[in-house]
Amino acid sequence: MSETVTAVVPVKDGSRFLGQLLEALAREGVDDVLVIDSGSRDGSQHTARAAGATVLEIAPVDFGHGRTRNLGAERSGGDIVAFLTQDATPVAGWLDALREAFALSQQVGAVFGPHLPRPETSPMIARELAEFFATFGDAPRVFGPGDATFLSNVNAAYRRACWEDIRFDEVPYSEDQAFGRALAGHPLWRKAYHPGAAVLHAHDYGPVEFMRRYFDEYRGLRETIGHVEPFGVRSAARDVRTLVAADRRYLADRPASERARWTARSVAHHGGRKVFSALGSRADRLPAGLQRRLSLEKRGGPAPPPLVHEEASLDFRGYAGIAATLRDGQAPLLAPYAGMADRERLHIAFAVPHFDVGSGGHNIIFQLVLRLERMGHLCSVWVHDLYGSRPDAVLRREIVDGFAPIKAPVYSEFDHWYGADVVVATGWQTVYPVLALDGCRARAYLINDHEPEFFATSVESEWARLTYEQGLYGIAGSPWLRDLYEERYGGRAGTFQYGVDQDVYFPRPVERRRDTVVAYARAVTPRRAVPLAILALDELRRRRPDVRIVLFGDKEPPRTPFPFEHAGVAGYDTLAWLFSEATAGLCLSMTNYSLMPQEMLACGLPCVELDRPSTRSVFGADGPVSLAGFDADAIAGALERLLEDEDEWARRSRRGLEFVRDHTWDAAAVQVERELRNALRVREA
Amino acid sequence: VEPQDELETLRARVSALERELAERTERANAAVAAAQDRSYWLDRWHIDLNRVMATRSGQLVFRVAKVARRVARAVSSIRSRTAR
Repeated sequence: MSETVTAVVPVKDGSRFLGQLLEALAREGVDDVLVIDSGSRDGSQHTARAAGATVLEIAPVDFGHGRTRNLGAERSGGDIVAFLTQDATPVAGWLDALREAFALSQQVGAVFGPHLPRPETSPMIARELAEFFATFGDAPRVFGPGDATFLSNVNAAYRRACWEDIRFDEVPYSEDQAFGRALAGHPLWRKAYHPGAAVLHAHDYGPVEFMRRYFDEYRGLRETIGHVEPFGVRSAARDVRTLVAADRRYLADRPASERARWTARSVAHHGGRKVFSALGSRADRLPAGLQRRLSLEKRGGPAPPPLVHEEASLDFRGYAGIAATLRDGQAPLLAPYAGMADRERLHIAFAVPHFDVGSGGHNIIFQLVLRLERMGHLCSVWVHDLYGSRPDAVLRREIVDGFAPIKAPVYSEFDHWYGADVVVATGWQTVYPVLALDGCRARAYLINDHEPEFFATSVESEWARLTYEQGLYGIAGSPWLRDLYEERYGGRAGTFQYGVDQDVYFPRPVERRRDTVVAYARAVTPRRAVPLAILALDELRRRRPDVRIVLFGDKEPPRTPFPFEHAGVAGYDTLAWLFSEATAGLCLSMTNYSLMPQEMLACGLPCVELDRPSTRSVFGADGPVSLAGFDADAIAGALERLLEDEDEWARRSRRGLEFVRDHTWDAAAVQVERELRNALRVREA
Repeated sequence: VEPQDELETLRARVSALERELAERTERANAAVAAAQDRSYWLDRWHIDLNRVMATRSGQLVFRVAKVARRVARAVSSIRSRTAR
């Protein structure tokens, strides 16, 4: 069975052609017809009912080209919704042609057909119609993304699913053009043209009415898409001459007297059109009274500015959720009971912010989830994304393939939340939904960095700061972070040390070079201090022109005053080889320390970091990592020592390998498990 | 019954219930994760099979596939019989 077709016809005083139109629709065999009448006084409603159409009457003030057509689609039931204007009459074969065009592809969401002149149509209009629709070809075709966006609701049909996806903008005019543009940029839906899906249609106005209609049309284009029709006396005269000549060629087989009469009309038509379309484009500069007189619609007053209607967006729900949590307070926790912290198996729910594969912070989270699962705990992962969402299955696959083969189910947002022993927020954005979750015995906060420092003064920086004041039990990624959480924010926290995946990061069998510095230069992460790293490397190169510099961490190579080799966003394995071959590593951390220095150390590569409270709290003042002050010369000096002093290099390399020996993800998971139990113990107390 | 004994009994009962809940959660988690693994490509391409199969063309494809499967089975059965 073929798809059902509903025809929707907006009508106001359309009785002149309405009977013909409804007769043609009955002949074509559409499944049902909906006429939406917006205050006709010429009996159009009666004509429609007599022809068996369903009539929906709306107040004239409620009419809008987009709004009324959306209403028509909502109130009708066809798989395909065909829109026709009240003065369009389908020709024989119209419906079959529409069906044929939709059958070209399941992706065809809209089909339009040509407008043919009625016998009484003036030759100027008839010629333009014929020439315009000839540009779409004489065979059915499906348009691609770069093709013309033209679409006309004089005669167009839409697959219901396509209309549901896009819908008409509620603009005063040209809703079809807006739909055509949306369709051209849509990832799924396409538009098709069928020359057989034709309607007889022409606006049979007198010369003055024509001009006023052009005024309305170009005013509408200005209001919807901002188009301003250019106007110049010479260019207008040249255009009019060309158009009149074309009309005369079109009339070549008519008697001379008729040609002369139409030539005069043609001059007036095209000349007037030039003037009135230019006036319509600039209607906002005309007085309201004059606009009303020039307009066929009799609409005056200041023209609304060219605004674009946008649908409500779900993307804001994350922010709304933050505001709601701050307003409503935290959801109550389940009552504690003695011994709950010491149960063998805990259900641990991780609330995770948006991620991309390669994110270091997410790698920490998922390595921990994997190990906690191996320790016998039940985990679930809940991804909270302020800026959109991906399906659950896609999120899970990205985690399993890109980070760690976890067993946990993965959920986008918290709609299916079913409680946990401990729910763990893992980024500032996730704290707010976590506070709103019920059915848990404790809430914890895996703090990998001091996130308010990620932002300039902003809503985000303030909301990030406020997360530390919500009383969650902190599990901090360094002693510095733990102290900050406790001393500055009055929270309670434990700590854990990051692991290194020693199946990936180990000294690879490659000869160690004596001239190579490999530096983490991810400029899109400001806390990595890339400009300072570049200044230091430039100074190093000035001191040692033979040094080879390799940068990695960003898709785009950074701009530098020295030549270098770029490894881009290198994979784990590539990095391990790179670290095994290089002489010295450079990774700068302005907040909490990065995983990168540990991964370098695990490959036997000594490295330079900034001397900050965070790095000192982890590596010690004179530990495996060479710490340098916030100064390009000091960093260059530290790198130079590693390049020149073989004893220093060997000592740091050896101590680095010793340091990472105990820094495994298994050990990190044991520490995190201890802190999760502490979070429960705090509640028991 | 001594209060201490009753307390111990209740604690044991809570532990048993917690263990039961953990086992159920484990089974439910495994089932959901397995379903997510199975539906990856459908979700990746934003295909809602229920919606597709509710359309006439979806039903048509389904019927054609059923016929094709029947034909394939028949061919394979004939092949295996003739091979014997």
